[in-house]
Amino acid sequence: MRLRTVAAAAIAALALAACSPAAPPSTPSDGSGTTTVSLRLWDKQVAAAYEKSFAEFSKQNPDIKVEMTVVPFADYFTGLRLDVASGTAADVYWINSSEFGALADGGKLIDVGKELAGDVGGWVPAAVEQYTRAGTLWGVPVLTDGRIAVYYNKAMVAAAGVDPTALTWNPTDPAADTFLPAAKKLTRDSTGRTADQPGFDPGSVTQYGFNAGRDLQAIFYNFVGSNGGRFQAPDDTFAFANPQSQQAFQYMVDLINTHHVAPSAADTNDNPDFSRDQFLQGKMALFQSGTYNLKNVADGATFEWGIAPMLAGPAGRVSVVNSVIAAGNADSPRRDAVLKVLRWLGSEQGASAVGAEGSALPAVTAAQKGYFDYWAGMGVDTRFFGADGGSASIPAPSGPKFGAGATAYEPIFKEMFAGRTPVAEALQKAQEAGNAALR
Amino acid sequence: MGGRPRETRIAYLLLAPSLFGVAVFLVLPILVVIGLGMQRWDLIGPRTFVGFDNVVAVAEDGRFARSLLVTAVFVAVVIPAQTVLGLGAALLLNRGLRGSTFFRVLYVLPWICAPLVIGVVWRWILAPTDGALNALLGRRVEWLADPALALPSVAAVSVWTQVGYVALFFVAGLRAIPPSVHEAAVLDGAGPWQTFRRITLPLLRPTLFFVLVTGVISAFQTFDSVYALTPKGGPQGVTDVVAGRIYFEAFESRAVGQAAVMAVVLFVLLVVVTVAQQRWFSRRTTYDLST
Repeated sequence: MRLRTVAAAAIAALALAACSPAAPPSTPSDGSGTTTVSLRLWDKQVAAAYEKSFAEFSKQNPDIKVEMTVVPFADYFTGLRLDVASGTAADVYWINSSEFGALADGGKLIDVGKELAGDVGGWVPAAVEQYTRAGTLWGVPVLTDGRIAVYYNKAMVAAAGVDPTALTWNPTDPAADTFLPAAKKLTRDSTGRTADQPGFDPGSVTQYGFNAGRDLQAIFYNFVGSNGGRFQAPDDTFAFANPQSQQAFQYMVDLINTHHVAPSAADTNDNPDFSRDQFLQGKMALFQSGTYNLKNVADGATFEWGIAPMLAGPAGRVSVVNSVIAAGNADSPRRDAVLKVLRWLGSEQGASAVGAEGSALPAVTAAQKGYFDYWAGMGVDTRFFGADGGSASIPAPSGPKFGAGATAYEPIFKEMFAGRTPVAEALQKAQEAGNAALR
Repeated sequence: MGGRPRETRIAYLLLAPSLFGVAVFLVLPILVVIGLGMQRWDLIGPRTFVGFDNVVAVAEDGRFARSLLVTAVFVAVVIPAQTVLGLGAALLLNRGLRGSTFFRVLYVLPWICAPLVIGVVWRWILAPTDGALNALLGRRVEWLADPALALPSVAAVSVWTQVGYVALFFVAGLRAIPPSVHEAAVLDGAGPWQTFRRITLPLLRPTLFFVLVTGVISAFQTFDSVYALTPKGGPQGVTDVVAGRIYFEAFESRAVGQAAVMAVVLFVLLVVVTVAQQRWFSRRTTYDLST
C-alpha cells in the first residue's frame, strides 16, 4: 500500500514537472572558453553569406562562435513556437512581422532598442518602425525586401508586343485596363493559340501570362493596396471585406479562373514556389515578386530577363514593404555574447557580406550599396525595387496573433482562389474567421 | 496476495523498471495532455486554467466533428482495402512461386519508407501540372485539389503504403497453419474456395485480429503522409483527419488546450474501438490448434 502511495506521488510529481517549460540550455561555453551562440534563419543564400561574415566576427571576438541552423520557411515558425515553448529556442533567431508581436508580448525577446540604442540610426527607418511595438524595438533589422517588382521574360514580351513597364489593371473600367489584354497575349495553349484568340484551350496552357495566386507578399497585398483597399485595420483586426479589396480579389480570381492567364489554384495553393519554377522553366512571361527571388532568378533563368515596376492599379503602384529582424532570445544565458552577435548583424561590416553577393538587400543602410553595386556589376537593373518603382505602400502584416488569424482565413482563401466560393462570400467568412482567431 | 506481503513486495520490485517506463512514457503524457486540456495556452504566453471551456469550444467547433467524420470515412475505406489486398498478396506469396522472396521485400518497401517522403513523392506523381500520373494519362486531373478526389487519392496512397506490411503478417499466419489441415479438407472433398472460407480464414483470425487492431489505430492516427499530400486539410477540409486537426489547432492556431481535448477524445475513441474489436474477436478466435 505504501509502495502504491509512493508510486502515485512520483507520477504526480513527474506530471507537475512536465507541465513546467524546460530551462534554456545553461552551458555558456564548450569547455574551451569559447561561447557558442546559436542562430536560426530560413534563407540558405543569406546563411552562406553569413558564414563569411561570422568568420570575420570570430576573428574580432575569438571567444564567441556562431552556429547557424537553416530551417525551411514552410516549417520555420511551427518549429520556433515549439522551441520557445520548451525553452530550447536558439539564442538569436529571424522573425517576420506576423510572428514577432506574440513573442514580444510574451517577454521572449531582448529589448534591442534599449540594449543597442546607439546603433538604431544605422538601420532602415521603415524596418525599425515595423518592428517597434509599444515604443520598443524588438530586433535588429537584417533584411528588407524593398518594393515588389515584375520579373519578365524578354523574348515572350517582345513576341507579344507588350511593354512590361507600362501595365495598369483596373477592375471597374475595362478601357483603362492595359494589363489584362497584355496577359492574354502572353498566355498560350499547346497549339500556340493565345488566350485572346478563339479556340484557346485553357486545359492545355503551356505558357502563363502572369502569376496571380494566393501569395500574400507578391500578389494580393499589392493588388488590395493598389485598388485603395486595406487588409488590416489600425487595431490589427482583419478588414479586407471592403469594396476596394473585394474588387481587387475578384480581379485576381478572374485572372485565374475566367481568363486563365495565371496558373490554377490547384497548382499554387499548396506550392508557393510553383509560379517561380514556371517562370524559371520559361513557362511564364511575367512573374511579380520581390528582391527575395532576385538571386533565384539570376541563378536559375537560362533566358534573357528583365525587371519592370510592379503592376499599377487604380490607386497607383502600392507595394507591401517587408523586413526581417534577428531577435535575441531573452531567456538565453549567453546574453552578452548574444548582444555582440546582434550588434555585429546590425553593423555595416557584419551586414555587408549579405549585400556584397547579392543574396538579399540588407536592412543596414550603409550595407545596401554593396547589394546594388553587385547587381549593377551583373548587368541587372534593380532600381524598381527602390524609389523608381513607386513610393506608396500598404502596411505589412502586423499584430501578435496575425499567424493564428491567417491560419483561420487561409482555407477560405484557398477555396476563393480555386473559384469554388464567391469572392464576396469568401471575404466576409474569412474576415470573421480571422478576427475570431484573434480573440 | 494480501496474505503474502513479502512476495508482493518482490513482485513490485521486479516490476518496478517496467512500471517506471509505463508511468513516465504512458501515464504521465496522458495526465499532462488532460491537464493541458483545462488550460488556455498559445505556446508562448503564460498558461491560464479555464476548466472545461476548451471542451465546450471543441464541442461547438464544427471542424472537429467534421474531422472525426473524415477520419471515419478514411478508416472505412483504408482498412478493408489494405486487409483484402494484403491477404490476397499473402496468398500469392505463400504459394512458393519463383521470385516470392523478391516480391516480399518489394511489397514491404513502401512501409519501410518515411511516410512524409512517401507523401512528397506521391504529391509529385499526382501533381496536376507536370505530374507523372497525368502525363501517363495524357489529361489533367486535379487528384489532390478536387474535393471529390482528394480523400480517395490520399486513401489510395495509404493503402499502397500498408499493403506489404499487412501481407507480411498474413504470410506468417498462413505458414502457421499445418498443411495437414488443408490436406484433410481436400480429402473430404472441399474445393479451393471452401477450403479458404472454412479452414484458412478461421485459422487466420488471430492474425486478422492483430492486423485490424493495429491497422485501425494506425489509420486513426494517420498524419504525415496526409499532411505531405494535402497540407492543411485539403480542399474544403475533405482530408482534415483528426491527427492533422490536432496538429493545426496546437501549432498553427496555437490553441494548445483545445488540441489537448481533441487528443483525449481520439484516445478514448481508440480505446473503445480496440475493446470492441477485442470482444468481437475473443468469441470467434481459436489460438491453439491442438485443442
